Amino acid sequence: MTTPTIELNGLEVQLGGRTILHGLTGVLKSRAIGLLGPNGAGKSTLINTLLGFHTPSKGSARVLGLDSHTSGKQLRSLVGYMPENDAFISKMSGVRFVRYMAEISGLPSEQAMERAHEAFVYVGLGEARYRPVGTYSLGMKQLAKLAQAIAHGPKVLILDEPTNGMDPPARKRLIELIREIREASDICLLLSSHLLRDVEETCDEVLILRNGQIASICNLAEERRANRKFLELETIGAEASFTSALESIGCECAVFSSGRIKVVMPDSVEIREVFKVAADRGVQIRRMNHRRDSLEDIFLNAMEQSGAADGRL
Amino acid sequence: MAVYKRRYNSYTGSLTPQWSRFFVLTRFAFADLFKSRFFVLLLILCIVPCLFAAGYIFVANNKTLQLLMQLRSDMDLFKVESQYFIVIMMVQTQAAFLLNCWVGPVLIAGDLTNGALPLFLSRPFSRTDYVLGKLAVLGLLLSAVTWVPCLLLFGLQSGLARNGWIWSHLWMVVPIVLCSAIWILTLSLLSLAVSAWVKLRIVATGIIFITFFIPAGLGEMFNAIMSTIWGRLLNFSYMFQLIVSHGFREESGRLARRGWDEIPIPAAWGSLICLCLLALVILNARLRARETVRG
Repeated sequence: MTTPTIELNGLEVQLGGRTILHGLTGVLKSRAIGLLGPNGAGKSTLINTLLGFHTPSKGSARVLGLDSHTSGKQLRSLVGYMPENDAFISKMSGVRFVRYMAEISGLPSEQAMERAHEAFVYVGLGEARYRPVGTYSLGMKQLAKLAQAIAHGPKVLILDEPTNGMDPPARKRLIELIREIREASDICLLLSSHLLRDVEETCDEVLILRNGQIASICNLAEERRANRKFLELETIGAEASFTSALESIGCECAVFSSGRIKVVMPDSVEIREVFKVAADRGVQIRRMNHRRDSLEDIFLNAMEQSGAADGRL
Repeated sequence: MAVYKRRYNSYTGSLTPQWSRFFVLTRFAFADLFKSRFFVLLLILCIVPCLFAAGYIFVANNKTLQLLMQLRSDMDLFKVESQYFIVIMMVQTQAAFLLNCWVGPVLIAGDLTNGALPLFLSRPFSRTDYVLGKLAVLGLLLSAVTWVPCLLLFGLQSGLARNGWIWSHLWMVVPIVLCSAIWILTLSLLSLAVSAWVKLRIVATGIIFITFFIPAGLGEMFNAIMSTIWGRLLNFSYMFQLIVSHGFREESGRLARRGWDEIPIPAAWGSLICLCLLALVILNARLRARETVRG
């Protein structure tokens, strides 16, 4: 049995007297994990806890089988971290900055220098490597942060909002880089973002947080493999009897606000049967989309379900 | 991840020992410091008094030179005893203070200004390692202008004096090293704490000066109002002088004539230790990978 990438056992984190993470429990086994959630959901707190910056008040968190609190140093020796905020030494040249970080990770001086040059060229900043980091543009600083995170060859790469402040071509290039890194080695990836596309394009599994609780854990790779298609309906006059009638012919239904219904149909059911059920119950179908489940749907569904649970949405 | 291949490869080579990694910070800090001409000039100026002191020892042990300078041997002008080393120590510790004021304030501030600290602490590198690495910068630098030249002078005197001078004065090695160590530790921790607290060099340097002058003044005010002597505990440089005098067995010396030795030596040590502890508390509060907002 392989070791899960991330294992959360009733993880609770309190900061400044407030509970930020409320008993998170879950196992994430994929090599590329996305961390999604609205602002203030607890994504960065979870990352900081995994890095050992915060001590859990209850429960535990494990990364590749190592406890973030008790084996923090051992765990951090496997990690490359790209923080969300500015993190650089402004007067240092880019390559020296990356070399410095690589040496602190334990690389001997010569290898650190070599890897720093390689990392800088790899992320596409080869021409700017001798310039002080303080003179870089926002996008270049993001790339420099990525370079310092990969220079020492980590086993786990933690990226906190990596595409923040990047223009579309730079964002595309960064996403390509992340995918390339993931495919070129056995590195595990944890990417936190509020941009669904970033996560969808790079990750196999998603952990969705809301108000410090797990809203959903979804295996995107399985979803992609299943390639489940569904109907998105906009209806007028649909009641519970309509969805239960659809369910009785083998469909799975999810009801949203304003008469929106998502219907997952088994192969044996045809669209005409949906029209028939609607006609029988006097339900008007105003719009129908036949599409695949996207991360956006999964995310919105998770948000609405957890919102309904705590009565906010 | 070779440059020409432009693809990512994980690192499979050897790693440096965990315990030695704090020294990376020291090495990089020294490399940055020696790029500054002003720093090199300041360092040379801090060592200049030792050259004069070495000249003094040379003259003190050279009767021919004394005769050439038309000095009578019975004048006993050139005595190299504990008083001589106290003076040298005082001069060099003041030089160390100036050097510390220039170097210390930028050591941590540079990393905190643009949030680089999480990058250090997300590696197998603790806050203790970080502080040790920065302390080593000041420790090595201030050692180079305090106990190291003092010991060299001691060695020079031992070599020139002969007649068993070294054996009768060997005890002085302990106060030279110990007193320098407490001064270096106090200055280093104080300037690191200030550096972690204040980002602007000029303000940080000002705070270091203030720490030595304002509390001393307040202490004297307290003494005058309360008719006591305990306010002198806030005069850190005099507490250090007291420790040095005691270390060199000079209780009845210059300080005693001014009434300073009324403060017990353990209290003087306590005063400096409290300053160090305060600095450690500030460092502990400021050196965090993430700040916690209370409320």
